[in-house]
Amino acid sequence: MLAYVARRLALAVGTVFAAVLITFLLVHAGQGSPGAVKAGAGASAAEIAQANHELGWDRALWVQFADTIGHLIRLDFGTSLIDGRDLGHDLFTRLPVTGSIALLATLLSGVVGVVLGVTAAVRGGRVAQSINSGAGVALSLPAFWVGILFVYVLSLQLGWLPATGYVPFADDPVGWITSLLIPILTLAVGGAAMIARTAAVGMREALQQEHIRTLRAMGTPTWRIRYVHALRYASVPVVSVLGIQFIALFGGSVIIENLFALPGLGQTSQIAAAGHDFPALISVVVVATAVVVLTNLLLDLVVAALDPKVRTA
Amino acid sequence: MSVQPVTDVSSVAGSEVATEPVPPVARRSRVPGFLRRPGGVFGAAWLAFVLAASVTASLWRPYEVDQQDLANRLALPSGTHWLGTDALGRDILSRIFTAGSLPLLASVLMLVVAFGLGLPLALVAAERGRRVEGVISRVTETLMALPLIILLLAVIGAIGNKLYAVMAILGVLISAAVYRVLLGVAKSVRQRLYVDAARVNGLGSLRVNLLHVLPSMARVAAVQAAQLFGIGLLMVAGLAFLGFGPGEPQPSWGFMIQDASTHIYDAPWLMVPTGLILAITVVAANELADAIAGKGKDEKRRPLRRRRVVASSEAPPADPTAVLEVRDLCVAVDDGPQLVTGVSFSLRAGQVLGLVGESGCGKTMTARSLLGLLPGGVSVSGGSILWQGRELVGMSDPQLNAVRGREIAMISQEPMVALDPMFSIAYQLIQPIRRLRGVGRAEARTIAAELLGQVGIVDAQRVLSSYPHQLSGGMAQRVCIALALTGEPELLVADEPTTALDVTVQAEILSLLRSLVRDTGLSVVIVSHDLGVVADICDEVVVMYAGEVAESGTAAAVLDDPAHPYTMALLGANPHVPEGEPVPLRLASIPGTVPPPGSWPTGCRFATRCRFAREQCTVPFVSLAAHGDGSVRCIRVEELARHHATWDAEAVGAETAPDAMPDARPDATVEPAPTAGALS
Ligand code: SF4
Repeated sequence: MLAYVARRLALAVGTVFAAVLITFLLVHAGQGSPGAVKAGAGASAAEIAQANHELGWDRALWVQFADTIGHLIRLDFGTSLIDGRDLGHDLFTRLPVTGSIALLATLLSGVVGVVLGVTAAVRGGRVAQSINSGAGVALSLPAFWVGILFVYVLSLQLGWLPATGYVPFADDPVGWITSLLIPILTLAVGGAAMIARTAAVGMREALQQEHIRTLRAMGTPTWRIRYVHALRYASVPVVSVLGIQFIALFGGSVIIENLFALPGLGQTSQIAAAGHDFPALISVVVVATAVVVLTNLLLDLVVAALDPKVRTA
Repeated sequence: MSVQPVTDVSSVAGSEVATEPVPPVARRSRVPGFLRRPGGVFGAAWLAFVLAASVTASLWRPYEVDQQDLANRLALPSGTHWLGTDALGRDILSRIFTAGSLPLLASVLMLVVAFGLGLPLALVAAERGRRVEGVISRVTETLMALPLIILLLAVIGAIGNKLYAVMAILGVLISAAVYRVLLGVAKSVRQRLYVDAARVNGLGSLRVNLLHVLPSMARVAAVQAAQLFGIGLLMVAGLAFLGFGPGEPQPSWGFMIQDASTHIYDAPWLMVPTGLILAITVVAANELADAIAGKGKDEKRRPLRRRRVVASSEAPPADPTAVLEVRDLCVAVDDGPQLVTGVSFSLRAGQVLGLVGESGCGKTMTARSLLGLLPGGVSVSGGSILWQGRELVGMSDPQLNAVRGREIAMISQEPMVALDPMFSIAYQLIQPIRRLRGVGRAEARTIAAELLGQVGIVDAQRVLSSYPHQLSGGMAQRVCIALALTGEPELLVADEPTTALDVTVQAEILSLLRSLVRDTGLSVVIVSHDLGVVADICDEVVVMYAGEVAESGTAAAVLDDPAHPYTMALLGANPHVPEGEPVPLRLASIPGTVPPPGSWPTGCRFATRCRFAREQCTVPFVSLAAHGDGSVRCIRVEELARHHATWDAEAVGAETAPDAMPDARPDATVEPAPTAGALS
């Protein structure tokens, strides 16, 4: 078990390293240079060269890469080329925004998805078919379009929720959750669809297991067969997909944050990409990869804990 | 927007590989299967339409994309602008279809890159074995763990806003997912024997791949490609939405939606056309994927219209001493063939009745109908099951639940899968003990340990704290028996309780059952294809063939002096070899197999395989003649008995049959012994 965790940790570190390497290489493969960005539009070639020299851009590639890695290990993310803000501090304030959207959306998808999926598996027939087709449509809808739809209905027509903007939790917890509700709902549409499909397949498979027949032969009440035994059996695939969903929603929040003007990682990565802010790009990639990798690690442990075969091994 | 529908593909791959053992050449048919499903037709047609309309948009579009009609800004659909106009009065229809070619073509490019990398890598990894596979898999695992969208933004930040290049890089990243799914297929294809054989026969690796591996991959690859295509469309649109599209005045779906979002106050219609076209296109890709995967067909077949059966009352007066009285039981697939017809038998308290026959004779269906546990789509279509004077046929599930476990319990064929793998043995025993005996948790645990002791488990406490996968087969079957005993039932239905076990364990389980019958007065219905088991433990025997009773009677009478040719054949095929003696090399066999339900011959159902069959046997005859204590369904029973007919291993047996048997099958005795010793 310990060796397994160690191996997984090594892989996790390797993944983050690979992400940095890929981004680093891409940045250097492009025509732009950080000096040009920093010096701004209309700067002369000499000014740009001077800025590049100050940023160390003219050093050997491997020296620069070692330098980048060295700083990242010390959790020093550097400063933005555009406005000189401290990127470490910036990420620190933005991560919770994206994290809470993704986490709450995952939880909501989980609850709604499991209810729908279990209903589909238990009821079968037309109910299952409608849930399955509904999930198929929900999975095909672009999230940003769904988001606009929610704004139109919940905010413009009904006036229940604010259309955009973000209220920090510390300022006003109720305002915080209302400001996040439409983004969360938006993300949860596709998430719930995915979970519903997984849960339906898992439950259907669970209910066909031989041990379910043993339980029926013992006169076990139907609710116990379904909601204790079959659901427990289906929990392993459902939890795995929940983890994948968290990762997907974390990435998907890039677009949602831009739609709803939320100050999260997605917003900063869009700005960084548009402005060719290389240090900001690398820092966002590092943080996002770390989140993905840690989620996967945690997921593996949870799935192992759920499965007696792994747990008792 | 996410990439995880891809995970779905692996299950498709798995099931494909599992259910289709040898598809060396792709099935040839004029219409591909997926086009025979409505979803597939819709998906393919819509994608073809959008692609054609987009690529040719410059030829037919009513307006140029940047042609402004300032008098008609933010217009609703009209004769001049079918889908309305945007804030600059530009025609939405023209813009949508002009915008279409970029996402469609960029997604195709992404697919080409993803499969161009993933497919060869999968082939190489499958062929070169562990080390190469290990390296490639490690790299792809890493790629798959990267946050795609954020990485793509980094790509755009680095190389600029070049959509085709960005989508090609996305293709590189996604090739990891393609690789993983296709590797699974390639490996399983290679594991199959015919590939090894092909290899041995000197086919080069290229030809093995071309002839065997690639055709098997085709479907899985097509499913995944269609899904990834949809994801690619959403990705391009998402990037354009963020402002990383072709840029004004060039139209793009994502940016048109972005534009619509700014006019949601004054022109909500604006978001409808583009959103719908994009959504329908992605739906089409997914529908196509589902259709190729062959999904949806199992959803349709579900006529859960259960026939409620009223027990027939014409049955002869029940044996007053019987606890279980089965009369004319019929089981049928709903709207399908009959599986069991007119089976009757009765059982007295403390007795053991064996249901014997080859598999496919309806033994298990008969046994399972005793508990109302027939599989979905199968139900009792007639007859009656009287349990202690109560009619079980037609009882509702809750009513049956009062009988199940408390009065009638069941142990099944596969002890290793009969227990819930997720719960400890303690939980699985304590829970029914509490429910059936109405005791508290602590007392239930004591009872559980006692029950385990009763079924011959010495270290009950250790077993209680184990999980099913930690038990051996024999141990698991003991636990299953203990579980069946939790409700102190009076009847135990045992479906092939020893088949899955080792020979020595079989004997132990049988003697356990025997001692339970002796000590507790339990009645047992045991299903078996093994006449040795039956001879060992049964008082009564019912021999079943093709859904009906061929012969029944006391075990002694039926086994020592079989009257029905099928019983004789079974006994010949399954000699009761006393322990320690060598099994005879050659066993008499029964030629052919049990005809499947729905194609049973008229007249005697055994006639196609019977050594003594004659003209008269194929004419329908009614009776199940009384014979000694029991009954025999053979029109020639008297005749055969008179001539002491036997069904011996030695071919000479046939000659002892009367009248030289003009219709006797001459090949019956020379047929090799396919069913010998292993009737199931
Ligand atoms: S009725 Fe005829 S075919 Fe059937 S078992 Fe008897 S002899 Fe054989």
